[in-house]
Amino acid sequence: MFLIFLTAISIMAIIPTLFKFDEDSKFPITSKINMGLDLQGGLYMILGIDFNNVYKDEIKGYLRKAEYELSEQKIESKLGELDVRIPTDPQYTLIISDPKKVEEAKAKIREYFANVIRMTDESGATLKFGLQDSWKDYIESQSVSKSIEVVRNRIDEFGVTEPEIISQGKDRIIVQLPGVKDIERAKELIGKTAKLEFKIVNDEISAETLAGWIKRTEEAGIVYKKGERFSDYMSKVNEFLKADLPKDYEIAFQKTVSKITNEIEAKVPFLVDVAPRITGDDLADASVQIDQQKNEPYVSMNFKSSGAKLFEKVTGENVGKRMAVILDGNVYTAPNIIAKIGGGRAQITLGTGNYNALLQQAKDIALVLRAGALPVQLDFLEQRIVGPSLGQDSISRASWASIISCVLVFIFAIIYYRLSGAIAVITLVLNVLFVLACLVGMGATLTLPGIAGIALTVGMAVDGNIIIYERIREEVRKKVSFYKSVEAGFDNAFWTILDANITTALAGLCLLNFGTGPVRGFAVTLLIGLAATVYTSYFVSKIFFEFYMTKVEGQDLSI
Amino acid sequence: MEKKMFEILKPGMKIDFTSKMIYTSSISAILVILSLIGIFTSMNYGVDFRGGAEIQTKFKTKVSIDGLRKTMDVAQFKGVSVQTIGEAKDNEFLVKVQADNSNLNEISQKISEALISAYAAQGVEIRKVDIVGPKAGAELRNSGFLAIFWALMAILIYVGIRFDFKYAPGAVIALFHDVVIVLGIFSLTGTEFTLQIVAAVLAIVGYSVNDTVIIYDRIREHEAQYPGLDIKTHINNAASETLSRTIITSGATLLSCLGMYFLGGIAIRDFFFAMSLGIIVGTYSSIYVAAAVTIAFEKFFLGKKKAA
Repeated sequence: MFLIFLTAISIMAIIPTLFKFDEDSKFPITSKINMGLDLQGGLYMILGIDFNNVYKDEIKGYLRKAEYELSEQKIESKLGELDVRIPTDPQYTLIISDPKKVEEAKAKIREYFANVIRMTDESGATLKFGLQDSWKDYIESQSVSKSIEVVRNRIDEFGVTEPEIISQGKDRIIVQLPGVKDIERAKELIGKTAKLEFKIVNDEISAETLAGWIKRTEEAGIVYKKGERFSDYMSKVNEFLKADLPKDYEIAFQKTVSKITNEIEAKVPFLVDVAPRITGDDLADASVQIDQQKNEPYVSMNFKSSGAKLFEKVTGENVGKRMAVILDGNVYTAPNIIAKIGGGRAQITLGTGNYNALLQQAKDIALVLRAGALPVQLDFLEQRIVGPSLGQDSISRASWASIISCVLVFIFAIIYYRLSGAIAVITLVLNVLFVLACLVGMGATLTLPGIAGIALTVGMAVDGNIIIYERIREEVRKKVSFYKSVEAGFDNAFWTILDANITTALAGLCLLNFGTGPVRGFAVTLLIGLAATVYTSYFVSKIFFEFYMTKVEGQDLSI
Repeated sequence: MEKKMFEILKPGMKIDFTSKMIYTSSISAILVILSLIGIFTSMNYGVDFRGGAEIQTKFKTKVSIDGLRKTMDVAQFKGVSVQTIGEAKDNEFLVKVQADNSNLNEISQKISEALISAYAAQGVEIRKVDIVGPKAGAELRNSGFLAIFWALMAILIYVGIRFDFKYAPGAVIALFHDVVIVLGIFSLTGTEFTLQIVAAVLAIVGYSVNDTVIIYDRIREHEAQYPGLDIKTHINNAASETLSRTIITSGATLLSCLGMYFLGGIAIRDFFFAMSLGIIVGTYSSIYVAAAVTIAFEKFFLGKKKAA
């Protein structure tokens, strides 16, 4: 009874997959087998986090805050040089302007930042700081989950169905985007180094002068070439104009990228601070709001408590100037600072114009700001892209080959074992059916190696039947009655079948632990297949044999 | 009543496997050593383990392999290799180029740009791109070998607990023998060693141990039934009695693997190449390696214990 019930459920479970039912069909089960990336096409990536860079930004950010806190206490100080002799422990110096206040400054920094930074060296008024180990651990634990959140956020904006974003180890993120069409766009969106900086624009140099400078670089052969890293181009420009640029300022561009060709259409130069005044780390959140009275969309920013103070100070000192919002070196917008902004809340208004265009612009800026609240660089470690047509090809080829392979085994079994062979074939078919139903039930993913795993399961599952049948034959040869032979065959074979499948399962578990993506799919189908094999080739076969022998009395089963 | 059965082996047949073990063991040992040399010197690691980029591309109209190679060279890719996939009329190619940390982020875009700009007229379609950084590749390689190692260890422990620890080394050495020879043949034929092959090797480990376990199972049964006989007789009897099962099962599994090998398409061909090899070597090793080691183990280790 249980067997009939199980079979019925399993058939129901795979019907939607076989006949390609719609999600909203009336059939009681709507879930289908999840096709892996290699079967339906899409993008698979492993991203790595470069923690040494994260530490570098973190220590710099805290020393900037220390600088600010000290100035509140009337102690002037200045961020000095970076020391990366130990790459995993980057350090910055902080120079106290008044040598007499060094001790006081040290005490203050200890008071405010003891759990975050540690002093590693001092010589006169130059103090050197690195991060506390415990804080590094904290950053590590936070970075992966924060990055996953940010990546998910960006993918949601992109609108991919059923993306999978999981962590691997403490510095890896696996991103799977099945069925994604525009792969380059998705990659660009995900891989974007979300490094947000707020820099004050130097408007003392006129736009014309700037344009003149850029023209000179072009005349000197420094032009942006397609395929080049834009950051490389920027550093070349800045290097070339070194003599002209005012101290502590550099050129940054606002570039417009064509949505169709993905090529840079225009780039407007800005003269901005070299060192950012405020970074994405100071920012808590950003969102699009609508001014109800004017019916205008604007971007609202919330700063963290530490960032709020900094923002108040920076805006207070720079009223009338522009503040560039820079993500990954690219200027996105540069609103005017109208007044000193306290309280940690700021708005970027976009002026007037077409409502939908403004709304889109506000959304873009908010996205940039949100993404930038996390200054973690993600590097692509692995990328696998499968086009949709290849996936279809793979499915049809592999399914067809699997069916042929199975049929070969079936024919073999029937020729060799006659009617008992036919029973074996039934158990094998049930085996495959259960495996597929399990895949649906567990929401597991079927990959191309997974299909291979099913074909292999059939080849290996027949072993269970063979072990039993050979045992029965041995008993029959000893002139034991057929009924007794069957009984002995099943009894003796049970542990053998179990042992054989458990050892294979051990290897399968090692594979499950090792593999990701398609290979993991193989391990999953293999393991499910092994469990199904023990059930079908032992228990189900037994049911059939018993049924046959009670119903068809006196007649032996051909074996 | 005489039952009619289709049999490939005569029942009651006893084969003296152990008498030839000195030769088979020597052959196995030589093969393992040669394979190990091959694995360490000339293994063709795929993009998964070596790092680099692999592009599967298909064209609507005819494209020459040299032209394609030239296009990639012109686009300044390094270490370009191009091979056809399937039949010539399919116009499908596998292009491999080097990738290193500096260009990992842009390489897939550069590849598609290079191909599309050169072959737009020929209806180029990029069907699959695999890019693995050198660091990730080295890590995958290590964890792949580790997975194989742990699988062997797990089986060693399981066989030790379920049977007897005197059987466990034989089973594991037989598996090691299978894995090494399969990989050795891969290095000899220059077939690429990829993630899928690690999966295949683990499946072989799981599959090949079955034969061994079944023979051990029989030996154990006989030892209980007829104590006093020496291990060689037990092995000969057990292997002979289970031989038809061994051959039929291996035949059935080999049949399905060969079916997949010839029909399953390029994507899983190597996988089933490894599986087919593994089944053949694994069947042989269950008798000739596992049993031989068990005899040797009993002779040297347990023999000494008795003497002491």
